[in-house]
Amino acid sequence: MEVKVRLLKNGYDKSDEFYEDFKENRTLNNDEYFTEETVSFPSNVPFPIYMGKGNEEQRKEQFLEAFKVLSENYISSERDIHLDEKAWHSFLVTHLREYMIEKYPIILENQKEFSNIVTKKFDWENYIYKCVLATEYVEDASSNSQEKLRYYNLIVDNLDLYNYIIKYEVFRNGDFLLKILNVVDELGISSIMKAKIKDRPELGKDERYGRRVIFELNKAYPVVMTPMLELEDLKEAVLKELGNYYDVSHIIRYL
Amino acid sequence: MIYKKEANFPYPVLTNSSMSYTESEFKLDIDLEENINMYRFEIKHVITSSFLSYLLDIGKAKLILILQSKDSKFYSLENGQSYVEIPKSRISLSSRTSLQLHLQSTQEISFRDNHDLNDFYTSFKNEIIVPKHSILGFSNIVLFDGSSTNPLELFEKKLDESLKSDIKIELGSETIIIHYRNSEFQFGSMPKSHALNNTYVYMGLRAALQEFIGKYSDEGEDTVEISQINPPSNMLDFKLYQLMTKKMIKDLNLQVLDQVIYLISDRIIEKHATAVKELATNGS
Repeated sequence: MEVKVRLLKNGYDKSDEFYEDFKENRTLNNDEYFTEETVSFPSNVPFPIYMGKGNEEQRKEQFLEAFKVLSENYISSERDIHLDEKAWHSFLVTHLREYMIEKYPIILENQKEFSNIVTKKFDWENYIYKCVLATEYVEDASSNSQEKLRYYNLIVDNLDLYNYIIKYEVFRNGDFLLKILNVVDELGISSIMKAKIKDRPELGKDERYGRRVIFELNKAYPVVMTPMLELEDLKEAVLKELGNYYDVSHIIRYL
Repeated sequence: MIYKKEANFPYPVLTNSSMSYTESEFKLDIDLEENINMYRFEIKHVITSSFLSYLLDIGKAKLILILQSKDSKFYSLENGQSYVEIPKSRISLSSRTSLQLHLQSTQEISFRDNHDLNDFYTSFKNEIIVPKHSILGFSNIVLFDGSSTNPLELFEKKLDESLKSDIKIELGSETIIIHYRNSEFQFGSMPKSHALNNTYVYMGLRAALQEFIGKYSDEGEDTVEISQINPPSNMLDFKLYQLMTKKMIKDLNLQVLDQVIYLISDRIIEKHATAVKELATNGS
């Protein structure tokens, strides 16, 4: 169901009073918090907005649930709305308050958790942002529901790589994301890409093969126009970069 | 990714400022039209090199429109295609959007018959072989600036009596916000109050530039080469970027931070000192 969302005034995310009023359910009717502006959200169906806790299985399930709800109810809206931080924050506090409290009761106990779950900065570390982009990309790529499901599963199975891809503007691109996921899938290197690089302290504390490959591809652009490469060429480019850190001979043998 | 590096190619590339071609122009102009569901970007371009235009005609090269707003989009243009339509559900023009055209090879290209290059290449251009998928030229960048509530303003002052410190510096999406717990701290009643606030301004700039370094330096590095990064989409960062570009600042890192502030801030410390001196003189 389409809903009108009143937009919050700037500064809400930093205000202690705003949090107190959210807890006591005094936000909604308080004009102090809102501008005159409204936007329409195409739906008010709730979906998981935070996957920062729980085991891997639970998190995957919630991602898939979010993908499903977003793709069916939200993603057809204008991007000015569904990729806008303030629109989402306004929507959450005015329309999903009860859902959030039930699902994430900790937001009532702790203001830090509130800002981490509800009014989190809207970038690649925000779960709604991640899910909105993922659904845009997958829904645009295919109309076949089996294929879409395959992509959604590939994303949740390669989350670290996904995060790293959408972190960089040059790779934050639907075609490229799906191509990389296909490369990882076809080469069967998902677990390698996730693994930490050991014995290379100069690379940093939490360096992983997948992140390193993306980093190197980024550096090589535009001499190697990675985002536009065909699947087979991209496969080669990925193996070449991975080869700098990992013995890829056994992968190549199976090609 | 929109590309603005000048050199670093192992072969000549056509840009609006390249010296490799005798006449080097790759101009892009975009007209924007819209209906309820779509934006239509009408593309007009000029490529001065007849060699490259010919490659385009016979399909050995293709044009790619690159569009960057919240993410990057690449559109391979068919020969003669003059516009790209994008559903509004997939692009937000209320944030900064930049567009550029790339000319890319679709197969290996020999520059032997490239008579548009300048004389420097005459003796060895038949040895220049450019691989498939390589960039042969890129245009200027066309910007849609989006809406911005404070297009020039870099600072905002706010009063917040519940603050747990005397002042607090916050980096907003478009401005550096200085929160004061007490209006006295703004020196509002004094002459030259503006200059007296300059120490806070300094602190604000320092905080904003430090974050800038964190955001735009490459992984593992602590320097941002200003000419090598894309214009930031975040408005505050974009304003800082423009200031630094205007002042021809090359590198930004912690070591040169104060120097950069000095260059971009129009003598704020000096003005502050003068204001204090004046007050002292008048007061005595």
